[in-house]
Amino acid sequence: MIRLITVLAVAMLILLTASSHADEKPHPGKDLSVALLSPGPISDAGWNASGYEGLLAIEKELKASISQVETKTPAEFEESFRTFGDRGYRVIFGHGFEFQDTAEELREEFPNTIFVITNGQEVFGDNVVPLKLYLEEPSYLCGVLAGMLSRTGVAGCVGGMDFPAIRWCFSGFRDGFLSVRPKGKVLEAFINSWEDVGAAREAAMAQIAQGADFLIHNADAASTGVFLAARETRSRKVYAFGTNKDQNHVMPQTILASAVLDIPKAMLGLAREVAAGQFKPRAVTLTLKTGTASLVINPELAYVIPPAVMKKVEEASEAIRAGKLRFPSVKR
Amino acid sequence: MIGIEVAAATIRLTVPLLLAALGEMWVQRAGLINVSIEGAMLIGAFAGVAVSHLTESALLGLVAALVASTFFCLLFGLFTIRLRVNPILVGTALNLIALGLTGFLYRSLFGATGRTMIVPPLRSLAPESLRELPVAGPLLFDHTPLVPLAFVLVPVMAYILYETRTGLMVRAAGENPEALEAAGLSVNSVRFQAVLVEGVLAGAAGAYLSLAHAHTFIEGMTAGRGFLALAIVFSARCIPLRVLAISLLFGSTLAVQFQLQASGTSVPHQLIHMLPYVLTLVVLACFGRPSGRETWKLGS
Repeated sequence: MIRLITVLAVAMLILLTASSHADEKPHPGKDLSVALLSPGPISDAGWNASGYEGLLAIEKELKASISQVETKTPAEFEESFRTFGDRGYRVIFGHGFEFQDTAEELREEFPNTIFVITNGQEVFGDNVVPLKLYLEEPSYLCGVLAGMLSRTGVAGCVGGMDFPAIRWCFSGFRDGFLSVRPKGKVLEAFINSWEDVGAAREAAMAQIAQGADFLIHNADAASTGVFLAARETRSRKVYAFGTNKDQNHVMPQTILASAVLDIPKAMLGLAREVAAGQFKPRAVTLTLKTGTASLVINPELAYVIPPAVMKKVEEASEAIRAGKLRFPSVKR
Repeated sequence: MIGIEVAAATIRLTVPLLLAALGEMWVQRAGLINVSIEGAMLIGAFAGVAVSHLTESALLGLVAALVASTFFCLLFGLFTIRLRVNPILVGTALNLIALGLTGFLYRSLFGATGRTMIVPPLRSLAPESLRELPVAGPLLFDHTPLVPLAFVLVPVMAYILYETRTGLMVRAAGENPEALEAAGLSVNSVRFQAVLVEGVLAGAAGAYLSLAHAHTFIEGMTAGRGFLALAIVFSARCIPLRVLAISLLFGSTLAVQFQLQASGTSVPHQLIHMLPYVLTLVVLACFGRPSGRETWKLGS
């Protein structure tokens, strides 16, 4: 009897668990099938969430059948790309720099599938295309804000994993900070995880102990730890910046602004071209100039920013749009 | 100032490891090995945040964490003790279930793309004046009650283990189950009780991570701490004081690691990140030698 009950209980658990992963079969009768591979939980209110929102927009606007899986390791990347490729998915988004190599390896095997690499760098053949994200541009503006407002002259960056794309964001922030605060210091830490919110909090607290009063992150789900470290500091007021998505609402009294990329819009745009049969392999860029990247000030904290500082930020923004501004430490 | 910061961080990083390791120690003493402690912590972390969010009470959240994790560990007990399935197999399966289940429930409760649920956290019970003290504040008073509890549990569990009848039964279940049976006692029931103890402690560890430290739940937020707890128990060879010592060792290297990165050192962070794991190997090499007597036996 006990055996039967436990077997049933476990069967139920496994069913529940399995159903948390999206249905992988394309639905018959729909022309466009789109899949998303995310490196972390889509419930992170940041990077992964923005990819999922793009996917949902594609489902809604283009009546596409969609599917999403969470993948961690290169072995899983390949397996998931293959699974969706075998099932004839038309577009597969690899949501992150780390998916690029695998997509390039598999592209000849699945010539009818278009691989889109968010944060990818190059076009390969006619079916691997990148969404090139110039997150360093709005991050630079965050840096200018922080540099002008910091009392201590120290700012910190907390990253998940150490990828070039994460470094570009931090380097942009550093360049912005140092442009208005040449003697300032920008600290950097990586926690080797996208979910370890405790580690992110400790890394941020260590930076605060070193004097940082402005923090920027690129740590996906773990970023809550950075925001929390800023909010819970009693000795001085510490502000944080959101990245990738407008995160101002996550902690409205702590997050001064967000460096935002309109990833959902770019994903939808690409999928629309594919659906209309007008897809041409090319890199899609998200920049301040095209309005697909932006700095969004948290309205609840706007009073913290004096008009003179805001003017400086707008000048920098203009210079970036006009292509007149160099990022000395961003090595693309 | 930095020294105090590192010491306070050491305490914060040690406590979840210590609580989980003490639970695992108890189970291993009783002759089982539970690798699903990671999953149990995750279940506890989730239940704590979910209930704290729904009831606006961190205390109820804590209770929920303990209960949920205990139920989860009972499942482990059911399979390994009653159904005699290989404990490593059960533990691995349960870890996967915990990760999927908490993710599924989190998304169904709080929406797929997350609203980053900041819940009423567990806070220190000490009055503001004590918490604000320059040195003693961050070291002694600015912690949730789970912190002193974790440290007090070490001598308490050592006493129970070595000095009481209950402890004798637990040790007998691990070292000489035949003797326990011969004395007319049930090995299975002793082991079940040990699993319950682990469930409560793993739940407390999970609740500390989510309710006290992160104030939110993130899928996979335990990030391998359960496995670190396993490593601690192995290196400590199930001896309570050593469990404390090695937990502190891990906690302090983690704390130093963050402080090193923040100090703007030129040492690559990849090397700094290796610190706790290199340390595991060193500790295992020094203390992990098999003695004449193994403290636990598998599936006996």
